Amino acid sequence: MEQLAVYYELWKPMLRAGEDLSFWQEFFVYFYQAFLENNRWLQYLEGMGTTLLVTAMALVLGIALGLIVAMVRTAYDQQRPGQSSSLTRCLMWPVNFLCKVYVTIIRGTPMMVQLLIMGLVIFKSSRNFTMVGALTLGINSGAYVAEIIRGGLMSLDPGQSEAGRSLGLGYIDTMRFIVIPQAFKAILPALGNEFIILLKDTSLITVIGGKELLYAAQGIYGRTYEQMFPLIGIACMYLALVMVFSALQSRLERRLRQSDRR
Amino acid sequence: MIDVKNLSKSFGDHLVLDDISEHIYPGEKVVVIGPSGSGKSTFLRCLNLLEQPTAGTITFEGTEITDPKVKINAIRQQMGMVFQHFNLFPNMTIRKNITLAPVRTGLMKQEEADDTATALLQRVGLEEKADAYPNQLSGGQKQRIAIVRALAMKPKVMLFDEPTSALDPEMVGEVLDVMKELANEGMTMVVVTHEMGFAREVGSRVLFMDGGKIVEQNEPKTFFDHPQHPRTQLFLSKVL
Repeated sequence: MEQLAVYYELWKPMLRAGEDLSFWQEFFVYFYQAFLENNRWLQYLEGMGTTLLVTAMALVLGIALGLIVAMVRTAYDQQRPGQSSSLTRCLMWPVNFLCKVYVTIIRGTPMMVQLLIMGLVIFKSSRNFTMVGALTLGINSGAYVAEIIRGGLMSLDPGQSEAGRSLGLGYIDTMRFIVIPQAFKAILPALGNEFIILLKDTSLITVIGGKELLYAAQGIYGRTYEQMFPLIGIACMYLALVMVFSALQSRLERRLRQSDRR
Repeated sequence: MIDVKNLSKSFGDHLVLDDISEHIYPGEKVVVIGPSGSGKSTFLRCLNLLEQPTAGTITFEGTEITDPKVKINAIRQQMGMVFQHFNLFPNMTIRKNITLAPVRTGLMKQEEADDTATALLQRVGLEEKADAYPNQLSGGQKQRIAIVRALAMKPKVMLFDEPTSALDPEMVGEVLDVMKELANEGMTMVVVTHEMGFAREVGSRVLFMDGGKIVEQNEPKTFFDHPQHPRTQLFLSKVL
């Protein structure tokens, strides 16, 4: 490590002075500057931690919101005239309407604008930018997840829930044991896609001061005036994260396909 | 056992059941036949309220189940149903398919339900399939499992909605055999079917439906040998 620092101190002034260095010497100087000098890799690591934390929080919030919205929307759409009492219908209508408004607004406005509104208008006085970012991402993701889940629930043969109900199982049990497990399997690829988008979209919370991976890179090239290595560096880190999660997703899919074997 | 009074059902403007009144007595094997679109499946599905009637009442063992206050899940636990497309749960093993409802509704503990499942599977000769998934079975096997699944709830009446219509001809026999055995044990059954042989052999009464009405009914021998109504005669001349 100290050996590297010696080379860095030796070559950096030479590079500044415009002397002829080999490609690898030049590469080393920029690399050292972007990742090793002053233990900068710690900042990336911290940023990556925040990125993962924000992704996880937004994912949980998004799935919770999405599940609720999707259940309300499908339950409302599937009710047949006369089946439920007029009281439940009266209660369902505004809730369903609210869910529709939520999905429309969130899907209809840019993520970046939502972040700025949340960070600079609604939570103007909050200093906890990362949490505000996670909250916004979660709310945003919820609208998309809701539509994904709704698609999954609707794609299922109605005979499945009919069979559950005909056995005397209640609505909740039928959903929990029969409909949701099957719908989950069907929507897993789309859900994985949404998760990947979410992971990358965490980079947007930089605009309201969330201290994640891109924020770290920006801080570093703000000092060094050398953008290429930090930016390409974090691009590789995002890529690595996404590849890890894609691999996990395919493993999960394989496991869920167990019941398909013939 | 099941009393149907002035039952009507329409989907939008389309009247599917037109003022049907009928009574099903304990131990009866009622076979419902008729052309496609005659409302026979809808009639059956109204009996356990999978379809909500537009008008009329259905009373099951003294409880008017069309009353919105009735706990329909408790009623459905006593009425088994078998579907044309089996509707087994593909995400569960056969054993789990059978034991889910008895355990979740509090009818049995898991071990008791497992024993019941094993015993029922033995009866239909499929005990070795307990840990298989539905997709690994043939149509006939699936339908026998579906019957077992309904029986595990110890129902008082069994409703069959065209149980053999989605099967390869080869497999119809094995399912009908199970149903015959069930009939011999005295189960009350309502069967919507196109199997005229089954209707004649097993049925204690045949209902012929057309245009949302019960056009004619009789005990099977008279029904098939001496149909009264011209519509019945026309239908039977085509299918027999």
